[in-house]
Amino acid sequence: MDLSLLQRTYSDLLSSLFTEGILNQQFTELQQLQDENNPGFVYEVVSLFFDDAGRLINELGSNLNQQVVDYKKIDAHVHQLKGSSASIGAQRIRNVCQGFRDYCEANDPQGCFSCMQQLNQEFLTFKSKLETLFKVEQQIVASGGSVPMIQ
Amino acid sequence: MAAAAELGNVADLALEEAFPAGIRVLVIDDDRVSLKVVCIMLKKCGYEATQCSSGKEALEMLTQNEGEFDIVLTDVHMPDVDGFELLEKVGLGMDLPVVMLSEDSSRETVVKGINHGACDYLIKPVQIEELKKIAVHVLTWRNANSSIDPELIED
Repeated sequence: MDLSLLQRTYSDLLSSLFTEGILNQQFTELQQLQDENNPGFVYEVVSLFFDDAGRLINELGSNLNQQVVDYKKIDAHVHQLKGSSASIGAQRIRNVCQGFRDYCEANDPQGCFSCMQQLNQEFLTFKSKLETLFKVEQQIVASGGSVPMIQ
Repeated sequence: MAAAAELGNVADLALEEAFPAGIRVLVIDDDRVSLKVVCIMLKKCGYEATQCSSGKEALEMLTQNEGEFDIVLTDVHMPDVDGFELLEKVGLGMDLPVVMLSEDSSRETVVKGINHGACDYLIKPVQIEELKKIAVHVLTWRNANSSIDPELIED
């Protein structure tokens, strides 16, 4: 594929991630941390997030399905997910976590279930869109081009 | 407590002199993602950063390797040994400055941290600019803990 088309695709994808609120400024901070000394940093840290968050979300799902729901345990997991999503700029996930914590505090099962659904949705969206972004990025690099940065 | 103006000068001096090349930071957080982000920011600032994902392990490391670190940066909410316990054992017991790091920005937790002797309390996601300043805490801590001459303290 034409390099400039790839670069345009990348820019459009990245832009829309910000416009839709899936990513926030924190992600830009991460991109700025990437350099010759840490070339794959963003990919590595986001991949780590895919793994850890995926696991946490599964845990959450099974915790919620228990006969007796342990809200404290759930809250601890959500708290961790909130922290990790915030540190990579996964804004929508982080926001769902905030609401989730409120429902945990209130021991509200319906609220928690609703947040669980949102969380699943947001995580799937986040993962799929970022995987696409990385694929395009890899293609750009393979073509010898430079990856456009959003200012 | 030093006057605000004096503290400003100490900060400038610190940033000029010892900034922060060679300052060894131990970062403790059970969240691997956050840990990775903070460590890379610290490295970018010029610190030497060591990661640890367990409060319990961190305590062992600190006990076995005294003098290996200049400052500890720790998350508050961790499953085994949490930030407050670390604060107690490290800040008081080992004479090391401890900075707390958390998503939890509730007043009670922040106040609890400061009252328990934390040098600082940073809210996640932490910005690289805030991490640059922790070098000052190393110097302030050293100055506070080494230059007190009992003769000079009036009754």
